[in-house]
Amino acid sequence: MGEERLFLLLGVIIGLFSGLTVVCFRITIDWTRVNLLGSGLTPSRLHVLLAPGLAGIIVAALVMHVFPRIRGSGVNQTKAAVYIYDGYIPFNTVIGKFLTCALAIGSGQSLGPEDPSLQMGAGIASALGRSLRLSREKVRMIAPVGAAAGLAAAFNSPIAAVLFVIEEVIGRWSAGVFGAIVLSAVSSVVVERWFLGAEPLFRIPPYRLEHPAELVAYAVLGVVGGVSSLVMVKLIGSFRPRLKALPRWTQYFQPAAAGLLIGVIGLGFPQVLGAGYEYIDQVMHDQYPWRILALLGAFKIVATSLSFVSGTPGGMFAPTLFIGAMIGGAVGGVEHHFFPFLTGSVGAYALVGMGTLFAGFLRVPFTSVFMVLEVSGNYSIILPVMISNTISYLISRRFQSTALFDLLSRQDGVDLPSMEERREEAVFRVEDALRPYQGPILRGSESIAEALKSPGGPHFLVSDGRGEWAIVSRPNLERLADLGQENSTIRSVLPPERLPHVHPDQPLDVALRRVGEWPLLPVLNRADSGKLEGVVSLQTILETYRAGHRNHP
Amino acid sequence: MTGTERICVQCGRAIPWGQADCPVCKEKESFLWTLRRETLLAFILVCLIALFVITGLAAKAYHSREKALATEWYNRGEADLKAGDPASALEDFRSALVYSRDNSLYRFRLAQALIAAQRFSEARTHLLTLWEREPGSGRLNLELARLAVKESNEPEALRYYHQAIYGVWESEPEKRRREARLEMCEFLLNRGAKAQAQAELMALADELPSDPALHTQVAGLFVKAGDYDHALRQFQAALQLNRRDQAALAGAGEAAFQLEEYQKAQQYLDRAVRLNPGDIQSAQLLETSNFVLSIDPFERGLSQQEREHRVLRFFDLVFRRVRECSRKRGVDLENPKTETDLKALYDRLQELRPKLTSRFLRHHPDQVEPVMDVVFAIEDQTARECGIAAGPDKALWLVARKRKPKEQ
Repeated sequence: MGEERLFLLLGVIIGLFSGLTVVCFRITIDWTRVNLLGSGLTPSRLHVLLAPGLAGIIVAALVMHVFPRIRGSGVNQTKAAVYIYDGYIPFNTVIGKFLTCALAIGSGQSLGPEDPSLQMGAGIASALGRSLRLSREKVRMIAPVGAAAGLAAAFNSPIAAVLFVIEEVIGRWSAGVFGAIVLSAVSSVVVERWFLGAEPLFRIPPYRLEHPAELVAYAVLGVVGGVSSLVMVKLIGSFRPRLKALPRWTQYFQPAAAGLLIGVIGLGFPQVLGAGYEYIDQVMHDQYPWRILALLGAFKIVATSLSFVSGTPGGMFAPTLFIGAMIGGAVGGVEHHFFPFLTGSVGAYALVGMGTLFAGFLRVPFTSVFMVLEVSGNYSIILPVMISNTISYLISRRFQSTALFDLLSRQDGVDLPSMEERREEAVFRVEDALRPYQGPILRGSESIAEALKSPGGPHFLVSDGRGEWAIVSRPNLERLADLGQENSTIRSVLPPERLPHVHPDQPLDVALRRVGEWPLLPVLNRADSGKLEGVVSLQTILETYRAGHRNHP
Repeated sequence: MTGTERICVQCGRAIPWGQADCPVCKEKESFLWTLRRETLLAFILVCLIALFVITGLAAKAYHSREKALATEWYNRGEADLKAGDPASALEDFRSALVYSRDNSLYRFRLAQALIAAQRFSEARTHLLTLWEREPGSGRLNLELARLAVKESNEPEALRYYHQAIYGVWESEPEKRRREARLEMCEFLLNRGAKAQAQAELMALADELPSDPALHTQVAGLFVKAGDYDHALRQFQAALQLNRRDQAALAGAGEAAFQLEEYQKAQQYLDRAVRLNPGDIQSAQLLETSNFVLSIDPFERGLSQQEREHRVLRFFDLVFRRVRECSRKRGVDLENPKTETDLKALYDRLQELRPKLTSRFLRHHPDQVEPVMDVVFAIEDQTARECGIAAGPDKALWLVARKRKPKEQ
């Protein structure tokens, strides 16, 4: 079996394994929560106060002594595997992430299961890829396949998972791996729905945009969401390195201290404990007044920051959705109070708010739009989502130049490629290196003598008029003329290989790869391959790169 | 993750932090690397199947536990609701929904508990979430209609009532649709939309089963709508099924009374009062009906003598009424300088009085009608001046009204 086919088959197998693992993970989290905090929505005060803290001690011990590589959410760890460790993720990472995150989230730490699921999926994929002795390149690319599977099963949203992996982990659309990513995401979601049902994480009330003027209200939400995202990024960005700089022995107690503080918050607002999906459902159904929603959003920002900066393993997707829902609902409530004619329900604002925070905090604008669509199943929400998400993203970009995941990796001393920066890098194109062609364009039927009469440089381009080009040098023609072949046609003396060509819109690195030993390459018009736009050479290509470096070092 | 520290000399890969040796090279020394790829694939598939089985068992136990928890919280909610504690019931139903997210019944009961706790907005969103999935559900549409009634949203209430009437009901669909229509009619009548209610009631009346209580209920609504004709028919239909239905007898009597069919009213009301002597309203109506029948000079089957007697009696009663009315209004009827409508009426009566004797009426039977028309007009005017008194005075007014042309 060829490696390409094996890779695709492996995508399905990885999806199945990841789906099963995520199912077990979710069951374990729920089981832990019921046993530590009780089955009701309002746990007992003693449990709320003690469970996160005590579990934090156990988690810290496991992280320090047994599973040292499982700190963090899992997204950067997966990227590190792709870009630094050739796709290697030790399998005990999967086990460690499973146990510690189930305990942490189930006990009430304000973290989510999605990011750990992403890393577990990547770890499973890495183990399978290595055991099947895939090539180095394939092992490197197999981690994102597993990441997509894990995330898809955790979110029950295959499209959002695929987009996130492409947008944040890989950073580009690669046909070679895209097929496997899609297969793995789909198969993991099939497994997850087989065992846990196809119910969405929360039920969304019906929504309809009644009047375009309402979009202004969602724009306001975008502003608020952007600011909230900034607050959270700044909190995490400033406190995390400070806590990491503390003596090592404090790291045994940091998760416990965070858990205790979260427990104190939980005494008044038990909604901030754990992932919080059940409370998002309640916000969707207009349970809380806007003041309470604002408080819940604020406290969740604090609680999540505490959990994350203390080094407790766990994810930030679920808390981001929670905060977004609360803030969205609060903004919706305030807007309804002052503008009662607005027809969007508080639930609609909460739904849009989730996407808004996703875009502003995690800086994944494409994923955030599709995530909201997938979760709600309602296409009419797309306009408010796009507007709100875009504004939030732009505000976050404006005041926080480094995205969260890049910030975290740099704090850890690891320079992972920034997908956002990569997207916004200046792309050089062939037209940037294009120079006009000074010489004549010869026809194959012309004789060598006629050709030598033409003015021009040391090389002549030869066109057959059907889009095929060749190149001959003047010295070569002169030599042939000296040998008495001045009446031979140009066609008869052309080398067998034809000259590669490029088009003006193509990336410049395409020209760099094709120029090889050729003195120059023709740049052809796409609509008419016989029409020469100009030429590029290795020299002009390098000049363009150098000039670009000077302008954008 | 704190960055790479060493590079493996064999494969050139970065050795992850915390690892003593290159894990990739170390793996290659393991047993797995000696196996063929196909063998490894088979082994992986075996592991997959094993994991499927384990996950299946775990999921089964998980679902079983979820279902038990959901049922436990739901039962608690029902108990709280029955005990009149909707606030606690809300928490219980919400907890039940955590373990059974897609359970329509739990969400529906939560919505009902929210309505009981006066949290209409939240109840609406839950009901609409359910309605999105089952827009044709009669039960949901009826609940939404009731919610709209509480919020005084008439157009929405009517829309949902109609959807409930023509919606899908799991059990006893005809009965549920009928109840929904009856409820809608009550709502329309409470809002003063009598014509609309009447139309719905007529549609309902055509489909009623043989149930005297239902006929009586519908007849009662016809009465509220002011349609005594249809009301009487429904009461009669009820009585055909149960002749001793006191409510139907009382209702039929009232309807007949309103239709000025006092003979019929007397029959029904008499039977109603006999069955329930405590029915004061029916007793009052019966008394009035009896009086009407005893003083109406145009009652069918009267002898000439009786007619004359009634005309004179009627005249005396009207005369007395005018005097009482003037006393109430402080009008001095004996003072020639008094210039009021009542005085004018009194003067007319005084004019007629000497003439109005049995002999006169016997010899001039054709004068009975004109005389009574004058008397009726006086009674009508007196009623406008002093209102319609209860008892015999009302009977006078009713007899006078009966004689008015229908177009008045």
